[in-house]
Amino acid sequence: MQRTVLAVLAAVFLSAAIVGAALAEEKGNARKGKYLFRKNCRSCHSPEGGKSDLSPNSLTQAQWTKAFANWKSLPCHGEWGGLSDEDRKDIFSYMHDFAKDSPTPAKCS
Amino acid sequence: MATTSDLRLTRRGFLKAAAVAGTGALLGSLAPAAPAAARAAASDAPYDRSAFSVCDMCFNKCGLIARVRGDKVVKLDPNPKFLKSRGMLCARGNAGLRQLYDPDRLRYPLLRQGERGEGKWRRISWDEALDLAAARMKEIGEKHTRCGMLFTAGSDMQSGFVQRLAEVYGSFNVTSHESLCLVSNNRGFLDTFGEVPFPDVLHSKYVVMAGANRFEALVTPDSMDLMTAMQNGLKLVVLDPRRTKTAGLAHEWHPIRPGTDMAFMLALAHVIVGEKLYDAAWMEEKTYGLEQLAAHVADKTPEWAAAECGVPAADIVRIARELAAAAPQAMVYPGRRSSDYENSTQIRRSFAIVNALLGNWDRPGGLLAARQVGLKGAFPYTAPWYDDSPPERADAGRAPIMFEEEGSFVHMREAVLTGEPYPVKGWFIYKTNPMQTAPDRQRTARMMQAMDFVVCVDIAMSDTAWMADLVLPAPSYLERMDPASGLQGSSACACVVQRDPVVPALYESRPVFDIVKGLAQRLGLGEFFDFNVEQFRVEQLKGLSDAARALAEDGVYYNPSKVYGIYEGRAHKTKSQKIEMYNQRYAELGLDPLPVYAPPAAAPGQSLRMVVGRNALVTHSSTQNNALLHELVPENTLWIHPRAAARAGVRPGDRVEVASPAGRGVLAAELTPDIREDTVYMLTGFGALSGGLSLVKGRGACLAEILESRADALTGNAAMHETFVTVTRAGAGKEARS
Amino acid sequence: MKTQLAMLVDSSKCIDCKACMLSCKVANAVPDGAWRNWIKPGAAQGRLHFQPGGCMHCDTPTCVQACPTGATFKDPADGTVKIDRSLCIGCGNCIPACPYGARYRHPELKVADKCDFCAGRRAQGLQPACVDTCPTKARVFGNIADPESEAGRLYRENQSRLVRVVNARTDTKPNMFYLAATAPLDWPVEARMPSAMGLMAGATPVLRGLVGLTGLGVLAMLGRQLVAGGGRGSEESKEDAHVD
Repeated sequence: MQRTVLAVLAAVFLSAAIVGAALAEEKGNARKGKYLFRKNCRSCHSPEGGKSDLSPNSLTQAQWTKAFANWKSLPCHGEWGGLSDEDRKDIFSYMHDFAKDSPTPAKCS
Repeated sequence: MATTSDLRLTRRGFLKAAAVAGTGALLGSLAPAAPAAARAAASDAPYDRSAFSVCDMCFNKCGLIARVRGDKVVKLDPNPKFLKSRGMLCARGNAGLRQLYDPDRLRYPLLRQGERGEGKWRRISWDEALDLAAARMKEIGEKHTRCGMLFTAGSDMQSGFVQRLAEVYGSFNVTSHESLCLVSNNRGFLDTFGEVPFPDVLHSKYVVMAGANRFEALVTPDSMDLMTAMQNGLKLVVLDPRRTKTAGLAHEWHPIRPGTDMAFMLALAHVIVGEKLYDAAWMEEKTYGLEQLAAHVADKTPEWAAAECGVPAADIVRIARELAAAAPQAMVYPGRRSSDYENSTQIRRSFAIVNALLGNWDRPGGLLAARQVGLKGAFPYTAPWYDDSPPERADAGRAPIMFEEEGSFVHMREAVLTGEPYPVKGWFIYKTNPMQTAPDRQRTARMMQAMDFVVCVDIAMSDTAWMADLVLPAPSYLERMDPASGLQGSSACACVVQRDPVVPALYESRPVFDIVKGLAQRLGLGEFFDFNVEQFRVEQLKGLSDAARALAEDGVYYNPSKVYGIYEGRAHKTKSQKIEMYNQRYAELGLDPLPVYAPPAAAPGQSLRMVVGRNALVTHSSTQNNALLHELVPENTLWIHPRAAARAGVRPGDRVEVASPAGRGVLAAELTPDIREDTVYMLTGFGALSGGLSLVKGRGACLAEILESRADALTGNAAMHETFVTVTRAGAGKEARS
Repeated sequence: MKTQLAMLVDSSKCIDCKACMLSCKVANAVPDGAWRNWIKPGAAQGRLHFQPGGCMHCDTPTCVQACPTGATFKDPADGTVKIDRSLCIGCGNCIPACPYGARYRHPELKVADKCDFCAGRRAQGLQPACVDTCPTKARVFGNIADPESEAGRLYRENQSRLVRVVNARTDTKPNMFYLAATAPLDWPVEARMPSAMGLMAGATPVLRGLVGLTGLGVLAMLGRQLVAGGGRGSEESKEDAHVD
């Protein structure tokens, strides 16, 4: 399932201009991003939701950066209508900061 | 000369005959009476029942079997099936039943009367207590936003519930003991390997242990495995300003100058790189930054390091070669507590880099990745969002790479004291004692005074509880049902533990789960706690079909998950996806991508550097009131070298005043050659203020009172080895008390 | 098969964590200020060395010799040195008689007390408290006369290097064996025997019988006093009320 998602995204990136870097440097609020992601995205992007099961560590930071730079090309971009620029930035910050290649602190155990 | 047996027959036979002759009653009245004989048998009587639990006298959580007679726990035995502890129970574990039966235990909710710290309390009911606490929390949330409440939970299997409350209540301001302990160590290794490793001591052949004291600061299985491995030929080299028991039992001990470990490590790297003692193919495949590292350590010669750290150059060279020869079954032991210097994260980076050079990642005798345990998150939730929330934690921005969920206690304290960036006016504290464990006790006291409302949940009237507004009694581990918890045991095991009550909760104590659930209900957040611990546990264990049976029958569940080779085909969570000796993200953030050495501060005048350390009979500040442990360690003493003592006019048996700009204390001096002349040491957790700790109130001196508030530059981890103290004679013997 | 319960200790594994001391204390309700076992700090080749110990259940125990009532005795059934509390009169002779200081006077029970290899636990199939709690498993306990047991096997295999820690002038043939080198070695003291014992031990049976009968007479007189009320019993308990 995840491979399909990655393939789709890769295809989108290859054919779209990459705006990524500039957008990525403006940090949103990752905390709010977590709330917004859960409220808006998780309903579909979960095991029960029917779409790809996504969480921050599904992709690397670079991959999230590219995805959000080109959100208009994503399959579900229509659902993003209700989100403000700030909301999108917040969700991006959350996904980016906890991405697959972001160092995961261990808890005291 | 008559033999023993002749005498025995003569006397025993004689007396028995005499008894028969009718003088038995007279003899009986001279000998201890029948009641004594009945009492004598009591401790030999069989145990009525046994129950599994998991120790809570330190963080290790060793499996145990509690033995019960009637309704009392009378002995705590090790669980022989518990691999992580190698089937043992240490002195503190054995003393655990005196925590359960401590006469000083908190019994019912207490509301402060009079001033904070005055020790005047009024007993109130649980309903009154929870209503009050919820009302105050609501008030603070309305007046100062939800981030106006600070939540601090200690190392406990129920602490996750406190974090859940904090999150659904809407506060970002959550701390624990970790930023008073190991966040800088975790950071240093995390940023090198992409995760925090677990050392495989048992299969190692060579260990350099800098600062860690595994034969006293017990960590399972490392402490036990270290001895086993030494019996099997492992060589242990210890660097420590003190001759701890670990140092004394090691093959080699070097009294390294405090704060210079990085110089030693950089010199090791210099030798290993310079003499090409590394596995070039492995380094090429698995690591990033060898070229940069080589350039960085080119001038970090053993001679240079020897001048900095005091370990002879020839020894540094030899140790480097011995380490490399034993590699990959060799390591610089990562250690745990790193609340020492202001460049602590970078010091630990230097430890991590040498490990990278030894090629020991993910292999026997080296540093291992976290093993799969398999517990599931239970009752997932989406915390509400409060629009008036500030953008960040109150301690944000004060250190560049703090951990999000941990922050920095010392920086948070400053935020509270200054009211910047916004007021934090309420504090929920569970099972942790910052008054004793954070540096600069007076500052912590001021922090508490600055609060509008402090609620402290604990089993004993700790110094922190003593300063609170509302004190709520929690039960001991032997009285609780706890959720499942996963433990990492490196090559010993990856396991799941849980607790069920061995005996019912005493007095009116309630587990913190009940407390946070009660608060949540009163705050309109009941939906996030719509379960009990038992249901929570069932959810946690859902993916592990054999776990419930194993936990019931063996007291532990083992996940036979992979030990070595976990990283085969897996990328490291670094920018290069390899082990980064040169950290690219640090470079991007303007931090040193390779650790840069700076000599530690010089001692002003005749002052001495205070260092912090551990003892196998004491856990920070939580065990001093345990009667059994108190017998062996009734108070702390100041370790001081005889020459340093002589310069201060201090003789054996004297009491001394130890003073720093932060505060002072008086305690007995222990003159010993087992510490450097420029260094002093005392145990944490004594000199208690609390009138509710009858054995430890005023005994010894409080280290927290004396330590200055300093922090690691990168993570905000408390830096507790940066305090210089003056030591002056306070009187002979028992004359002077603090 | 003969039974000789004994302890084999690899003191090179000991880290002085004191788990054994606390485990014993809890399991046997040892009173404050007293310990049934110990760890002696020492040194070996410039390194620290720790030596765990406890009652050695000796083969020729001086404590037994010192006991006037026969309350303490070596039990041939299992080779341990026992204390029969019902016969102990609390005279305290046995305490300085032990070269190891293994015995103490129980402040509440007023009898001599010491390690009994956790008889109560053994009866339930458990190990002595000091043995299973040890983090480094430095102690092995069992019947050294049984070649199939772990203790017996260790005993047999290490015959050439077993070390007993004894005082040069009082060798009580202890049944605690240290596997290979151990330190310190010179700490047990010479047994201090009650002088009367020495005299009695050398006396003829007739003389001993006479002394015994005299003792009976003294007891009878005491008995009359007690029946009449007051006397030695209550004085003694006042004196012993101070517990330290």
